[in-house]
Amino acid sequence: MDTPRRKLDRQDMRKRKQIPTLTWIISILCLFGLCLNGCTPKEGREKLSVAIPESAHIQDLGNNYYINWLQEQTGYDLDIMIIRQSSGTGILDALFSSDADIDIVMFGEDFKITQEELSEYVSSGDIYVSGERSYYENTGSSKNSGPGQILWINYNWLKALSLPIPENTEELKAVLTAFKEMDPNGNGIKDEIPMAGSYEEYSLSPAEFLLNSFIYNDPYHSRYGINEDVNILYATTDEFRAGIDYCHELYEEGLLDDSIWDGNLKQLMEMCNSNQDIVGAFTTSSISDVIYQGNPEILARYIHVPPIEGPCGEKNTLYVQKEPEIGAFITKRSNKKEQAERLLSLMLTPEASLIARYGEEGVDWTYSDGSDVSVYGGVSTITTVNYIWDTSQNKHLNGIGPMNVPEEYLEGVTWNGVNSDFEYINGRAYMSYEDDLPKVREVHLYDDKLSDYMDAALEEFIRGKKDIGSDKEWARYLEGLPR
Amino acid sequence: MGKISGRIAALIFIMVFALSGCANPSGNETEKKTVIIDNSTPEELYERALKEDTLVVYTVSTRVVDTKEAFEKTYPGLFVEVRDLRSPNLIEEVEKGSGRGTPVCDVVLCNDNSGEFKTRLIDTGIVIPFLPEDIGSRMKEDAADGMVSFLNEAEILFYSTKVYSECPIENIWELTEEKYKGRIYLPNPLRSFSTYAFCASSLDHIGEFEDAYEVYAGDKLEIEGTENAAEYFWKKVSKNIIFTNSSDEVTEALNDGKADFGWCVSSKLRLAGVGYSLAPVYKLTPFSGCRTSYAVMMTKECKNVNSAKLFIRFLLGEKDGQGAGLKPFCTAGTWSVRGDVPDGNDVPLSAIDLIAPDQQKLIDDKEKSVAFWTDILKGN
Repeated sequence: MDTPRRKLDRQDMRKRKQIPTLTWIISILCLFGLCLNGCTPKEGREKLSVAIPESAHIQDLGNNYYINWLQEQTGYDLDIMIIRQSSGTGILDALFSSDADIDIVMFGEDFKITQEELSEYVSSGDIYVSGERSYYENTGSSKNSGPGQILWINYNWLKALSLPIPENTEELKAVLTAFKEMDPNGNGIKDEIPMAGSYEEYSLSPAEFLLNSFIYNDPYHSRYGINEDVNILYATTDEFRAGIDYCHELYEEGLLDDSIWDGNLKQLMEMCNSNQDIVGAFTTSSISDVIYQGNPEILARYIHVPPIEGPCGEKNTLYVQKEPEIGAFITKRSNKKEQAERLLSLMLTPEASLIARYGEEGVDWTYSDGSDVSVYGGVSTITTVNYIWDTSQNKHLNGIGPMNVPEEYLEGVTWNGVNSDFEYINGRAYMSYEDDLPKVREVHLYDDKLSDYMDAALEEFIRGKKDIGSDKEWARYLEGLPR
Repeated sequence: MGKISGRIAALIFIMVFALSGCANPSGNETEKKTVIIDNSTPEELYERALKEDTLVVYTVSTRVVDTKEAFEKTYPGLFVEVRDLRSPNLIEEVEKGSGRGTPVCDVVLCNDNSGEFKTRLIDTGIVIPFLPEDIGSRMKEDAADGMVSFLNEAEILFYSTKVYSECPIENIWELTEEKYKGRIYLPNPLRSFSTYAFCASSLDHIGEFEDAYEVYAGDKLEIEGTENAAEYFWKKVSKNIIFTNSSDEVTEALNDGKADFGWCVSSKLRLAGVGYSLAPVYKLTPFSGCRTSYAVMMTKECKNVNSAKLFIRFLLGEKDGQGAGLKPFCTAGTWSVRGDVPDGNDVPLSAIDLIAPDQQKLIDDKEKSVAFWTDILKGN
């Protein structure tokens, strides 16, 4: 997203701390979990020390096609240190507190760092900054912009109860009520959760989704309008209030689960992937946010629901534009900064990025002759021969490190033919949502204070701590809005 | 092994005959094929299967997930791993696995109409048919000629009920009209076997296209150059078509009201049960689609033979056809391969305007057809 993650990151903003000696020793041992390749550098060649997170999707970093290609192109030997931790800041604190000789740190998979976290290391002088560049970006895992929130519903439950896919708010309520009352998982217990969620991301909150059936609701931009209304706060309108009222109604009837405010992502994942089949509906920006990889049975359980129409015929799709993630940085202490820059700049070229995303040209993929259809419905530009993303392979780093795959290739990649492929499932859902995207995507900047206020008010209204039907309460809410 | 009945003996004879008669230049290849006959009871197979590993099923149908779940409930201790792929990818993976000596699965469920399944997996002996006697005697004869079909379907035209309350066309040529530009969806025929079977087979029905045109336009079709009426139709209608990866995208476009018409597999009609806005076009001059069927086969290098046999029995509905394994496939838009199990669809196949693909002709004409469709797709 082009805004900070929701509450979690803001609450957990990292503070640099003194690290106990034992912790950093352990961390450094984890960091230097493995030393590959560069342990025996070829004579006369420059050597770069690169820290790379461990990945179950890479078979052998010591003989990886992409690593070998990078070495060949640059003439450097890459001395790979495997990071065996997912806490980006923990390992960086340990690294910078030690004498570890690392030129480059790469990010990816579960090992990530936010811009805010990075800026602290920049301020403390641990990261090399060249001009305005303090890191090398990663924009190559998926399409960069489009629908930002999809509603998924339990198809098996619909079938079991002979219910149609809901098209509007009234039908949705009827379906959720049936989910709650009619034991669709057939275990004789009322253990069904009609609609679950999590507080960790706006996209995981069904309440945010439902508001889009009343007025355009973009929590990532503090619920301001779009297009010519970019300076109008939609969260003050009667439509927005009607949307909250609808959500409150669902909550009161036990159709919206408390997990929306109290549950973390892990808990939501456990619920949705449970063999007990207990969740009726949830929302995400990608099905892979919640459903475990390689689980076709669970995936087959859920299908996307096109945007839900509100009582006044309103239906909207949240638009998001993803900001590049941090792919790598060069350490200030590196004495091979120029070489490190050369390597990382090479990784951002289309040629390298295509290997980084799709593998070996001519073996794993080819440029398309235009006779295929892309996974997003357009004309294909890349035909995948062996679809190796998110599989155990040794052709690339599965998204670790900097990459910059041109949009035409990200949008033009062909489907791998696997029905349970996440990109394919998302692609089909996005096609159903695209028509309801805002036509012009002018957006307001995110306002932390305002968003915090509205998030809290929404929760209080929906959970009934405040009465959304009370004009006084609503007036108080409007008066309290930070301007 | 029990005594084989006369009917089954005849069926096996037909199957072996069909296999040995395959148009494969190498006589040795066909000799490798074996029709597996095992009349062990389900109980006996279960007992032996408990000593085996997880059964791996490669399938083109997501509905097998329901069969898997029912199977695991019926036979505690047995586990099935399902991998759901599009037909060309399935064939490629199974073929590659066999080629490198590391078979990827035990059981294969695949659309068998385009000829690819036959030439690449059956004629090469990579997959083999298994049909227990007690079930074979209840199958319709054409369900077991060289491969075991477990389901009949059709690649058929649908219309969006979100857009139309009843089908607005009677003649296939109406689809070439300007008003349907961008409103007709079709899975890429080079990526979908059932679509390929329809599109490629239709090229053999030139006379029917000509006659239909005359009914539609009131005049005979005049075409310059070497093109025939079928080719002319597809080139013209393709200007209105949006190609997709699969039938799923077609059904979603129909449901969203983005498409007026779309060809897809008939079993997608089951989605109408959960409110999808689509309905099949049963009557269309000269035809609305083509017949297709799905085969279930064991791999020759199957590691979990008893589990595979038990699973196939289960999928075929067991002896009486009432087993839970077949139930997920007895839905609207499907037709039974068993004489003792009613069709899932209310309207019989014989009452629908469908062509029947000539598989051998599809195999023989493959190069030409692929070139034709590649040109169309590039032009689109």
